[in-house]
Amino acid sequence: MLRLLVRLSLSFSLLLAPSLMLRAASGPVSHSPARAQLIAALVAPPAEQAAAIRALVGVEDSAITPALNAWRAGELFLVTLGDGTRAPATLAPAPGAEGQLLALSVDSATPLLDSTSGKPLIFAPKQLKPLDTTAPLRRAIRDVLEVAGVSDPTPSVRRESVERLGQSRKAEHLPLLKARLVIEKVPVVRAALTDAIAFIQLADSDSKVRLAAIASLTEAHSLAAAARFKEQLAATPAPPADEAAAMVAALKKIEAHWQIVNFFGNLFRGLSAGSVLLLIALGLAITFGLMGVINMAHGELMVVGAYATFVVQNIFVSAFGLGSFGFNFYFIAALPVAFAAAAAVGLLMERGVIQFLYKRPLESLLATWGVSLALQQTFRLVFGPANVQINAPSWLQGSAAISDVLFAYNRLFVIGFAALVVLGVWLVLNRTSLGLLVRAVMQNRQMASCIGVKTTHVNMMTFGFGSGLAGLAGACLSQLGNVGPSMGQLHIIDAFMVVVSGGVGNILGTVAASLGIGTVDQLLQPVLGAVMGKILVLFAIILFLQWRPGGLFPTRNRSLD
Amino acid sequence: MSSTASSRVPDVEPRFFTRAQWASFIIPTLILAVLLPVFNAVLPPDHLLHPSTFTLNLYGKYATYAVLALGVDLLWGYLGILSLGQSLFFALGGYAFGMHLLLMIGKDGQYKSDLPDYMVFLGYKALPAHWEPFYSFGFAAFAVMAVPALLAFVFGWLAFRSRIKGVYLSILTQALTYAAALLFFRNDFGFGGNNGFTDFKRVLGADLNSVETRRSLYIASVLLLAGVFLLYRWLTRAKFGHLMQAIRDGENRVLFSGYATARYKLFVFVLVAAITGVAGALYVPQVGIINPSEMTAEKSIEAVVWVAVGGRGTLLGPILGALFVNALKSWATRAAPELWLYFLGGLFVTVVLFLPGGLISLPAKFRSIWAKFRSKAPASDSSAIGH
Repeated sequence: MLRLLVRLSLSFSLLLAPSLMLRAASGPVSHSPARAQLIAALVAPPAEQAAAIRALVGVEDSAITPALNAWRAGELFLVTLGDGTRAPATLAPAPGAEGQLLALSVDSATPLLDSTSGKPLIFAPKQLKPLDTTAPLRRAIRDVLEVAGVSDPTPSVRRESVERLGQSRKAEHLPLLKARLVIEKVPVVRAALTDAIAFIQLADSDSKVRLAAIASLTEAHSLAAAARFKEQLAATPAPPADEAAAMVAALKKIEAHWQIVNFFGNLFRGLSAGSVLLLIALGLAITFGLMGVINMAHGELMVVGAYATFVVQNIFVSAFGLGSFGFNFYFIAALPVAFAAAAAVGLLMERGVIQFLYKRPLESLLATWGVSLALQQTFRLVFGPANVQINAPSWLQGSAAISDVLFAYNRLFVIGFAALVVLGVWLVLNRTSLGLLVRAVMQNRQMASCIGVKTTHVNMMTFGFGSGLAGLAGACLSQLGNVGPSMGQLHIIDAFMVVVSGGVGNILGTVAASLGIGTVDQLLQPVLGAVMGKILVLFAIILFLQWRPGGLFPTRNRSLD
Repeated sequence: MSSTASSRVPDVEPRFFTRAQWASFIIPTLILAVLLPVFNAVLPPDHLLHPSTFTLNLYGKYATYAVLALGVDLLWGYLGILSLGQSLFFALGGYAFGMHLLLMIGKDGQYKSDLPDYMVFLGYKALPAHWEPFYSFGFAAFAVMAVPALLAFVFGWLAFRSRIKGVYLSILTQALTYAAALLFFRNDFGFGGNNGFTDFKRVLGADLNSVETRRSLYIASVLLLAGVFLLYRWLTRAKFGHLMQAIRDGENRVLFSGYATARYKLFVFVLVAAITGVAGALYVPQVGIINPSEMTAEKSIEAVVWVAVGGRGTLLGPILGALFVNALKSWATRAAPELWLYFLGGLFVTVVLFLPGGLISLPAKFRSIWAKFRSKAPASDSSAIGH
């Protein structure tokens, strides 16, 4: 009984759905000449099929690529209709309630209707055999697909396939590329087209065309061309003298260009690495520099911020769905949450442990180390020992290029954000009454207490503020690297070095030291490798402190010790 | 900080050892260094008093840890230098001896080559020149002390000369350790990278896996601990010890009294580094591996915790702390592995907050509480307890 009901309702819905769809569409099948040609090629007898497919080269239609791809993957079927004609079809990816599959027409991806009964065609899995391919057919399909991307509606796909065609060095693609260059409007694709044409023309029979191609590629600073020039200069039938000279000159020019580009690229990465350091070290500059507490759990407070970002992200995913418009705002919402979460943990730490240790800085190191161990284990128990997945919002993905130097948006954001945070910290410390109290207590705790400042209160607020800054750093770091339980340990030593070499208790020193260390580190890395660069920087800091034990901007103080 | 530290540590006593103290030093030493190995060799394995070779091995490891802890304590408890680089010196000694042990494998390695396995793996054709001398046991034994001492001398000379102290020195030593660990983690630095040295076969011609060798290594570790204890005891009780504690409590005053404090600090720093290196060298054959994770800052801080838990500023405290924390670790990592870090973290916080004198101060604390209780308690109470 129940089964009958289900079957009835199913067949009803199957009947209804396509007919509704068809009403919405303008006609049963759109018969553009390109699609007719495609379908004809697909159902052609095997002997003529290869030629029919090759005829599709350069035909602009969005249905060609999916259909041919399905064929190659063995997902294209031939269906015999009621009137005996045959039609190509793919099967719907999701099966119905009893495992039956709906046939879809290749040209519109709507259900395929029987020409006589007008009903949609339904098949059991494995009922149909996929359309066979032979070696010549696969070659023909490949040739069509190779150039199909050139007329794709998406610019990035067009650009990629144009670059691929250029790399293929086949002169047969020249007419297609030249024709596309005439109608192409997107500048990036135009540049790619020019490069690809020049690249193919490097093998032209006319020496003038070859020289022009070399000049054009030099102008474009093409790295692929540089490799090609090297290859040709080393080849045994050496190129003619004038071309060889042009290639040597071109090589020099291209290499010089990329050296400059790499230098600025490294400088930019250094600046952003420095900004990350700055974000981490700012909180430390307050808790360690101003308050004198060696907070070894500072890294873990940062991780609290990163995990807070992770949680906010998950809430947004469940509310809006991954990649939706609303999802993109999760990071904005995560920033205050990260600050608050880290500040709350910091406040707990201050009340529970640190308030007893203001006069014993070395012991605050041990106690906070203990707290950091417990926090790490908590992260492991709550979020698991593996790194968690954080998806960047779309506005932080990708990069802007200014004359070949890439500026990744997430790195740009970190630089800007660090500048904002520095400004904010400076304003809080120097322009608010809280800042005044903080500075008073940090300079002389007893004196401030004597004139009525509630020092315990101020200590609490200051430590919470510094901890919150660590949380912000963690939120930012979640967009740049992995988020895992031991992520804090990676950065804590760097952060301490920044504060020490900048001059303890000095925001300006922290800024200078972190940007300096980040930039030097990034500039050394391509020369010495990542680890050696870092080691060298560490030793440089140790030596620097020999020369200036108080750091870059030492606090002036009359007391001895 | 200085005032609290001085009030906690008893005044320096002039005598090296009283008779009772000699007894309480010699008896445990004899038990550990003679009786246990004899029991291990003579008694049947199922006997109640038979310590297994595994146990001896474990105690031997703890003894080397205790030497490391004693070094941390001499620097921190007596001289006021919290060095977070002691595990680096420990590991350097271990690496120097590990180089010798690795060469002693000979052709018995996996690749049946004269070269150590990892070198074959990395495609070395010949032994690097700086490895050659390590074929000699004597040179290796010298390097075990000389390498850490040299590093300590260079770093200490730079640091103490420019009067870096307190927290800054701690952070710098931590950075030094961090940098060194990064360096040793690299394959192209030539010390086995991540995996370090392992698969040792023999030392001084004796099979490392034999019971006799393990027993001897254990005895050597206990004797080293006893010797280092005596040396440090003598150092701290001599005039030199007074000066060390004076530097800890008020370096400027000592400086103004005409002492070159930097030299004293440098001497102790280098001495401790060399002795810690020896401990590391004894540690390596007993655990059978040395890799860069031994020289991370975390390991140094762990050693500091042993001292803090045991009681700094005393020489017995660090030994107790090293034993206690490591025994706790062996137990907890088996019984509740996911809670071990909570244990350790909680221990840090508790000791720092509630027991600044460490475990060793517990009896005195109980005595004072007991005395308070006695003095406050009415007479009837004490009579009720039984007079």
